Amino acid sequence: MMLMKTRMLYLQRCCSVRAGGLLLLLLVLRVGLTTANADAISELASFSIFDKVDLAQLAKSDVKTAHGPPMSNPRFLAVQSCYVASGSSPAQQMQALRQWDATRHRELKVFLHSDLPSNPTTANFEKLRNAPNNAPVRSFVAATEKLGPDLQISKEEAKKFSAGAGGGGGGTIPAPVVAFWADVLTARTKSFVSGGMSAQPPYDHAGPSIRASDEANGLLREQGKIRNQFSGLLGSTGIGRGAGSLKPELYWELLEADDQGVVTLGASYSRSGGGGTYQAGDVLYYASGGYYVALTLYQLWPVTVEGKPSTLVWRGDMISAASLGTLHGVERLGSESVMMKNITKAVTFFRRDTSGGR
Amino acid sequence: MQRFIRRALAGCCVAPLLLLAVRVFAEENNGSWLESLSHVPFEYNAEDTYVGGGDVQRGPNKSVNDFDENDSIVHLVFTPRTKLGVLRIGTDWERFSFGLPNHAALPDTLQSVALVMGLDMQFSDSIIVRAEGQPGVYDAEFDNLGWDNFNLPFLIGGTYIYSPNLQLILGVSVDIERKYPVIPAAGVRWKIASQWLLDAVLPTPRLEYEMNKDVSVYVGANVKQTSYRVDDDFGTANGIPRLNHAILTYSEVRTGGGFDWKISPIVTFTGEVGYQPYRNFDFYRAEVRYHQDGGAPYGMISLHGAF
Repeated sequence: MMLMKTRMLYLQRCCSVRAGGLLLLLLVLRVGLTTANADAISELASFSIFDKVDLAQLAKSDVKTAHGPPMSNPRFLAVQSCYVASGSSPAQQMQALRQWDATRHRELKVFLHSDLPSNPTTANFEKLRNAPNNAPVRSFVAATEKLGPDLQISKEEAKKFSAGAGGGGGGTIPAPVVAFWADVLTARTKSFVSGGMSAQPPYDHAGPSIRASDEANGLLREQGKIRNQFSGLLGSTGIGRGAGSLKPELYWELLEADDQGVVTLGASYSRSGGGGTYQAGDVLYYASGGYYVALTLYQLWPVTVEGKPSTLVWRGDMISAASLGTLHGVERLGSESVMMKNITKAVTFFRRDTSGGR
Repeated sequence: MQRFIRRALAGCCVAPLLLLAVRVFAEENNGSWLESLSHVPFEYNAEDTYVGGGDVQRGPNKSVNDFDENDSIVHLVFTPRTKLGVLRIGTDWERFSFGLPNHAALPDTLQSVALVMGLDMQFSDSIIVRAEGQPGVYDAEFDNLGWDNFNLPFLIGGTYIYSPNLQLILGVSVDIERKYPVIPAAGVRWKIASQWLLDAVLPTPRLEYEMNKDVSVYVGANVKQTSYRVDDDFGTANGIPRLNHAILTYSEVRTGGGFDWKISPIVTFTGEVGYQPYRNFDFYRAEVRYHQDGGAPYGMISLHGAF
């Protein structure tokens, strides 16, 4: 180490004035890059549970995950993760996140995904007819036809099914079930666009009234540092509040949660910040079962690792689900572990698909 | 792993440990002690089993016939979350009562009062480890208690979470007073289908079928093995002086079927009936052993849950 430093000093003395100027410029750039890395790490430490991160080490490893802070509401669970996407900028990472298709990976159990316009019609949910014929989807159909107690809809929505039921139809999901869900999902998407999560009807079909917006706000309230870090972004979105100034990218999915088929509505937001950073938020603001609300926040910083422009990504996943409220002690640890594994799996697939992974 | 070994746990000195748990929990949540106390999570179990008339035999001629058994358990463990993991601090009491004839060289009561001191730790997204000790008094009559009535059996077990539907369990149970002080065990917890669960983990391996959200039925077993010290004059009173103050390892296996009925999110009622095919009273250091000669039917009820 000492020998290298001596040689560098000797070389510098032999350099011409011009070369010396270039070296000085490189030195300034290097200092700038080091400062950018230090800023990213220090900002990451300020709001996340990752208080010590070695970028070089992180770049060589898989995603790092850890459970979030304990929360007083037993329905809540949070996991944080971070990783380095080598060779791509935050802007490129954001673009890749927007375009990534989770349905390509069966392990992630997302059966259908479809983007939505801001003024959707029932035709936007026609893909439900193409749902795969598997046990979770069949249980989803059965739960709908019975209007079972686990179905997360409002009383008003439940009445609509009674009126619309009785028709025929074939396929994995019968036509009346498709029609019912197309109506529910269309109406909920429109109310989200006009009034954010606050305008969503409650889950009160069978049991106490639960509002997804209250759950989202509860999740953020219990993680004050994260809420502060993302206050600017969240204040411009419909997450836990009325419609914000940022335009959401809307979508719906049919996926599996707790062995049940679930239709869910989502909205993604992102915005760039100073110094090439980005923040993004992705909320599943409605689910027909399995969970009340799921929120994922992203913070992306430009960093340089081994001379390559890269992105340090922090991801915070938080979920509110009735089933979590029944877990205690080691069962809760187990569910956290499963959530961490699922996030690791999703991030690994994403990195592999976007060539940033190893 | 949650039920890797369910053992009787402790009483009189649980209070300081409980306060420690509450304090750790309060610091973790930056709340007041009183506020935290109302939020301290805990698990409980109150269980009673009646085993009908069974027989044991020692050698070719010495039998103890047609005696029944009552096994009662009360278990209370606080499970606050800390930075290290989930603490397990509590107490457990277990009492076996046997309806023995007068001439039997067997104690008619075996009981334990012990603390539960454990920790569940998350080592990674795939591995959870439990370390738990049950220091306490393991004795027959609770007369003339001394330091040698104290024992500290403990277990260390790890769960490898292969997937949400499949977990592998490895563990070791240690009890220096037992005939075999170290007993390793392996198990698997496999959700075979949406309603079927194979929970092949000692001491209560089970195959469960979930009938609905609130009711499950199962077939399975319950394996018990605990060491107790008998009274100072137990041997003299029964004509075998070498059994005075001796260590007795009591083992039994129950096999049967039952149901779990979730009455509320925090209360589950369990009923089980079956047959006890194995029972063994082993004064192994004194080389006196009564082994199973005739099995017996049993019935068990329990109320358990967690907050």
